Amino acid sequence: MTVFNPPTSSDPHGKEVFIRCRNVSKSYRKGKTIVTPLEALDLDVGRGEFLALMGPSGSGKTTLLNLIAGIDSPTTGELWVDKQNLASLKRGQLTAWRAKHCGYIFQLYHLVPILTAFENVELPLLLDRSLSRKERHSKVAAALDLVGLANRADHRPTELSGGQEQRVAIARAIVTNPGLLVADEPTGDLDRKSATQVLDLLREFSSEYRKTIVMVTHDAVAANAAQRTLHLEKGQLVEQVQITTSEPTEV
Amino acid sequence: MLPISYAIRNLLRDPGRLLQKVGGAGIVVFLVFAAGAFNQGMHRILSASGSPQNVILLGAGSEESVERSEVPIQAETLAAAGIQDITTRLGVSAVSGEVHYMAEVIFPTGHKAQALLRGVTPTAFEVHRSVRILKGKYPKPGEVLVGKLAHHNLGVSAEMLSPGQTIKFEGQSFTVAGIFTAPGTVMESELWFDRNDLMTLTQREQLSCVVVRLESPESYASADLFSKQRLDLELSAIRESDYYAKLSAFYAPIRTMTWLTAALIAAGAIFGGLNMQYAAFASRIRELATLQAIGYSRPAIYLSLVEESLLATLLGTLLAVAMVLIFLEGQTLNFSMGVFRLTLSGEIALAGLLTGLLLGIIGSITPAIRCLGTSLPSALRS
Repeated sequence: MTVFNPPTSSDPHGKEVFIRCRNVSKSYRKGKTIVTPLEALDLDVGRGEFLALMGPSGSGKTTLLNLIAGIDSPTTGELWVDKQNLASLKRGQLTAWRAKHCGYIFQLYHLVPILTAFENVELPLLLDRSLSRKERHSKVAAALDLVGLANRADHRPTELSGGQEQRVAIARAIVTNPGLLVADEPTGDLDRKSATQVLDLLREFSSEYRKTIVMVTHDAVAANAAQRTLHLEKGQLVEQVQITTSEPTEV
Repeated sequence: MLPISYAIRNLLRDPGRLLQKVGGAGIVVFLVFAAGAFNQGMHRILSASGSPQNVILLGAGSEESVERSEVPIQAETLAAAGIQDITTRLGVSAVSGEVHYMAEVIFPTGHKAQALLRGVTPTAFEVHRSVRILKGKYPKPGEVLVGKLAHHNLGVSAEMLSPGQTIKFEGQSFTVAGIFTAPGTVMESELWFDRNDLMTLTQREQLSCVVVRLESPESYASADLFSKQRLDLELSAIRESDYYAKLSAFYAPIRTMTWLTAALIAAGAIFGGLNMQYAAFASRIRELATLQAIGYSRPAIYLSLVEESLLATLLGTLLAVAMVLIFLEGQTLNFSMGVFRLTLSGEIALAGLLTGLLLGIIGSITPAIRCLGTSLPSALRS
């Protein structure tokens, strides 16, 4: 088996490589058959890049996203995020890695309904014992401010619109200041106006805060917000589209 | 670690389910309290009724029941002279020849009840040292001294057995001369008559037993030797504490049944609770997966789910304690030997608390393992 080094080189587009997949496959048993949603995939994503993954259902987009986020482990291959080979980590280590390095944004927000917006955003920070209560509160307030929901801190998810819920989820994803943000169809359940707000935020995190963002989407308009779009089909990369402009695309 | 507030708020997520869980746990723990109080009450009264310093001389072959026993009347004086180390006070030897008799008594209202009657002489107080007259005086012929809890056993009000009231036995009327207490013993539910009255009315010429109080439990050998030497009296010496221990063993199956019933109900509650808890956790599989995606470990989430379940069952335990204090504490229960009080002792409280803890832990671990067993990608999409 080939052993790769951590991504220290630059990708063909001149960016420092932040995510490097080499020969990554994922298989699992479904009944009596073995399903392979991803097969021998190679991919480099630069630091601070905003990448969109597109493709039909079952093409392996979410599987790849879950692997990059450390939600799942590849069956074969190596998957480096920054200096860490996620393929070598066990479940508990992946959990600890996610807490520090990755923020996950879900299509249906996945907020805890019994907690307020503030408490939802605070959840990841409670894992960091070194933070004082005051520091935590200050970080939560800053994150909510960044997504424009400082005045909704005490509201529960049921008291927020879909767009506001997704922005709270984004605040929760960024509050620990992770290097990587992954988003699984973050605009899939939103109206156009809310979708625009969410995509603007993601672009801002990529361009201003150098967050590496990997977003799965079915929406070509949403994908246009990314700097690069990859198309997957049957677990293989089939096409990539490079957006050259750094200006936000009209959504 | 998830904050405890998360577990508390989850409890309040579905008030109906919370009510079921708290109520279910409360009933089970209440049953454990009740079974414990019943068993301990019965065991205590039988244990406290016998002193290891007292020896009962019974008719040989009637060691199981003092009521069936027959002892020659002269055994009382012979025992006083023949047994060494008998306690004496003011020159009176602690030897009490007694008649024990179960019979029906009739109240002026016409109410009839079976009562345990004891025919005694004043030396009974030398032998049964816990007996104290609370009201009134020692009975003369035609009078009766009643135990403090006798009215419970006879199913009448305390007033109907207060000094000055009358009861009928074998067609003769007896006036209540006083009320005595003997805390925690079966004697408190007895009626004490003048021994001659009882012997005359029951046409007995023999005693039921002779009770002797010794200087120390070790002096039992002297009483045992006396019973074996005086073959003509056909006696059997038995420590009073052993006599009541045997009676206690007689009631063991009843006590076992109460524990078994409580255990079966608790087991049923655990199985029912498992289903309910699984339904509660299963509806939150995606939320639990989200917590894992954020970075909370599975053990941390297990712990939070167990905390949540424990909080509910401990609330149930508190409810059970309240129910015990309202409905059970201090209540008296009758059994053939007398009356005992139900009390929530430290041991029973601990047993109830442990039951609450077990209900919470066992009732949540399996559902939590099942709900967190789903793979994370699948759970996030559920």
